[in-house]
Amino acid sequence: MTTTLPPVPETTGTAGDAGPGGTLRIPAQRTTSPDTGAAAWVRPVVRFRSSRPDLLICAALLCLIMVVQGWNIAHFPALSDDEGTYLAQAWAVQQGEGLAHYTYWYDHPPLGWIQIAFLTWIPSLIAPETMTVATMRLAMLVVSAASAVLLYVLARRLWLPRWAAALAMLMFGLSPLSVVLQREIFLDNIAVMWMLLAFCLAASPSRHLWHHFAAGLAGAVSVLTKETMLLVLPALLVTMWRHSHRDTRKFAVTGAITACALIGLCYPLYALLNNELLSGPGHVSLMDGITYQLGRPGSGFILEAGTGSNEVLRSWLYYDTVLPIGGLAGAALLLATLRWSVTARALAGPSLVVLILAVVALRPSGYLPAMYVVQALPFLALVLAGGAASVAHAVLRRPVGRAAAPRAERRVRGALAGVLALAALAFVVPHWYEGNRDALTADANAPYRAAAAWMGTRVEDPAATRVLVDDALWLDLVHDGFTPGTGVIWFYKADLDPAVTRTLPGGWRDIDYVVSSPTVRRDAVDLPNVKAALDNSEAVAVFGRGDDRIEIRRVGGEGGTQ
Amino acid sequence: MLISVFVVAISMALFWMAAFTLWWQMHAWRTPETLASTRFDRPEGGTELSFSLLLPARHEQAVLEHTIERLLESSHSNFEIIVIVGHDDPETAAVAERAAARDPVRVRVVTDTHETKNKPKALNTALPHCRGDVVGVFDAEDQVHPELLTHVDHAFTSTGADVVQGGVQLINFHSSWYSLRNCLEYFFYFRSRLHLHAEKGFIPLGGNTVFVRTAVLREADGWDPECLAEDCDLGVRLSSVGKKVVVAYDSDMVTREETPGTLMSLLKQRTRWNQGFLQVYRKKDWRQLPTRGQRMLARYTLMSPFMQAFTGVIIPVNVGIALFLDVPAGIAVVTFLPLITALVTFVFEVVGLHDFGVAYGLRVRFVHYVKLILGGPFYQLMLAGAAVRAVWREKTGRNEWELTSHVGAHLTDLTETREDARR
Repeated sequence: MTTTLPPVPETTGTAGDAGPGGTLRIPAQRTTSPDTGAAAWVRPVVRFRSSRPDLLICAALLCLIMVVQGWNIAHFPALSDDEGTYLAQAWAVQQGEGLAHYTYWYDHPPLGWIQIAFLTWIPSLIAPETMTVATMRLAMLVVSAASAVLLYVLARRLWLPRWAAALAMLMFGLSPLSVVLQREIFLDNIAVMWMLLAFCLAASPSRHLWHHFAAGLAGAVSVLTKETMLLVLPALLVTMWRHSHRDTRKFAVTGAITACALIGLCYPLYALLNNELLSGPGHVSLMDGITYQLGRPGSGFILEAGTGSNEVLRSWLYYDTVLPIGGLAGAALLLATLRWSVTARALAGPSLVVLILAVVALRPSGYLPAMYVVQALPFLALVLAGGAASVAHAVLRRPVGRAAAPRAERRVRGALAGVLALAALAFVVPHWYEGNRDALTADANAPYRAAAAWMGTRVEDPAATRVLVDDALWLDLVHDGFTPGTGVIWFYKADLDPAVTRTLPGGWRDIDYVVSSPTVRRDAVDLPNVKAALDNSEAVAVFGRGDDRIEIRRVGGEGGTQ
Repeated sequence: MLISVFVVAISMALFWMAAFTLWWQMHAWRTPETLASTRFDRPEGGTELSFSLLLPARHEQAVLEHTIERLLESSHSNFEIIVIVGHDDPETAAVAERAAARDPVRVRVVTDTHETKNKPKALNTALPHCRGDVVGVFDAEDQVHPELLTHVDHAFTSTGADVVQGGVQLINFHSSWYSLRNCLEYFFYFRSRLHLHAEKGFIPLGGNTVFVRTAVLREADGWDPECLAEDCDLGVRLSSVGKKVVVAYDSDMVTREETPGTLMSLLKQRTRWNQGFLQVYRKKDWRQLPTRGQRMLARYTLMSPFMQAFTGVIIPVNVGIALFLDVPAGIAVVTFLPLITALVTFVFEVVGLHDFGVAYGLRVRFVHYVKLILGGPFYQLMLAGAAVRAVWREKTGRNEWELTSHVGAHLTDLTETREDARR
């Protein structure tokens, strides 16, 4: 579909019209020509920034999405350990302590939390104590907003009609699954933003060499933000290939790959400069990091009941079935109709993303992280909207070559379309209403806040007190005056980081408090020091109840502060 | 601290220079529309203009006849060929007179009687004899496509241009490592960068396959007889007074040429161009350009042979400083920026070589790509050498037409003269 080149008015030469008045006339980028002939397909061009209806739709939807995602953001969902990790590392970057306040061990490329550090930099300057997980979730709103707008732009650049682009943006922004996951400080959300930018640039309407080059850069940044985005790069390439012109493709695609590779190689180069590329005794290394990530124990087959992967899947489907299942169906429909449908061909790239991610999730014995679905969300929404557009087109289109269908037939078609749309609405709206009502009203973090407040007010000499906490609470305690790193300790570092265990010669006896959250209790099984501290302590305060409770436990005997 | 500031400043300067060069080099491939607009438009309707084709020839008796024959095969109906020979060069004059006798209507001979001879003087000698609407310049060994004049005619009439510059392409990329790079240099220059200059309204013209309306040329008093880069100078003077220049490049209609025979003659040729660019810069005609952007472009373009040459030498030194002196990691990253740009340039050159092969139906082998990459640093050294040599000659006042004194001395100098005079 990109083979027809509309003629340019001045094909004889690049018009350099430096007239006496000094005005430069640059040849028009594109004109529709009278003599391309009926057979020629003139490539439609979508100019988002100069299209008033697009801007209005996008702005209105964005407001709605921001309200739903932003309202109650600090209270729901429950603070996650990972959020705490990334934000704490961002804090370390802000403090100028390098890439992490504990030894950076190449678990993920650091670009993600460097970006979080930038995003939260100004607020943390004005009010340092706001640098906690619950508050700084607001920064993720910026990322969500950018992603939502980029998705709309991408949909339009892939020639979806306005309503379908709006539908994609709406589903991406308002699915309860999206609302829950996009509120959290996950690297995946930032990586998704960059990948959407890369897709937008790859589908640039002007097919500009440097846009494609920039798409390569954005793709590399996305991968360096969250390494799992590597899986999506082939689909980015497909999109770029389809959207480049035969005559300039060679340069555009090579340029993009070069850009992507050069930026991507900066990471190993960084490791090399630090002498940490290959594993060796006495230091961390990129190789060890990769080995760890690839060697994580598998969580079983996703469709087999009882496995970890299946648990994860069910947690996704608990929030929303429409986007994951509908998106997969949409991708399947588009891939199956690739030969006949213009929409399917335009959406080949996003469909491929969904396909790749689905296949990887289905591998029988791999590790499936809970945020895996984050990177699929925009593409699921896009292919679902594309599938809807395809169906609508099939139902409503006038057969080629016929002037007008009989009135009766038009009515039947219109009615069918109406029924389909109503049925979809009737199914989706109640489900999403339920899901989002929780997100807008529930308070899942009251125990965390209470625990943080207790530690902040009831411990008399924070600077000399040593506490094991999970990552989500760590920054709260840092602001309360505990010593970062060795005073307030990420609980698992007490067993896993030699730099920390050295400061605990007495093992659990050197610890004063354990803030026992569900994560701590879950992981303590494999961590002797943490387990001993839990066993040899008594609860002095308990917040919440059941499995989600948070206990503050004072470790008995010596080393206490009071 | 001081060394860090120094390194960062150098790195940023290098980065911007390399980035600009890259941007301009890739101009034609920015969008499919840009690429399409760099080609000749297909001529429709009849021919309207008459041409006077100037063919300065000096000790070129071996090739001149063939060139004239080929020019006469042109499909255009209305043109004359004016061969310019020296009064001290009877062999070439004989060939020219013979051709004129065979076709007295279309071929004439003009004799240049200047004591010291050079190309601009020869061209100026012939200018009063031109009867056509448009003056075109070719070199005695050029292979000109029969359809070229018709296309140029159409370019003039359809765009109202004052100047049309056609493409010139070195073809013998397989001859040596430097000819490979030299060919590719021409490819990027005529295929891409010159179009950007035309678009921006500031253009150093090439030495042949260039067509100017006769009235415009006379108004500008022809070529500057004292300038070592009279072609560049003419382009600068014409674009500075707002004349419209159109560039067109079609691979089957370019004028084909060959690279200089030895590395030394390439170095000398490049020295002459660089010195010519310096002279044009110092003549300050470009200051009449109406906009600041154009003046900046002019300043940068005329200085760029020197800057470009030095970037190639300084980039490795700069990276070396970053690696071996103790600078902070952030600074070290900055020093890699120009290197990254250079790598991107390399990659685009490889793709360009492939495109060149496809456009001219030439078989580019793997070894040529290897040569291209490996030869890069050495070619940069050659360019740097030529730049230094040009500055030195200009400083010491040796700004005479270097080779005129050698003309007719012996054979190697003859070839050199021909190659040097050409462009």
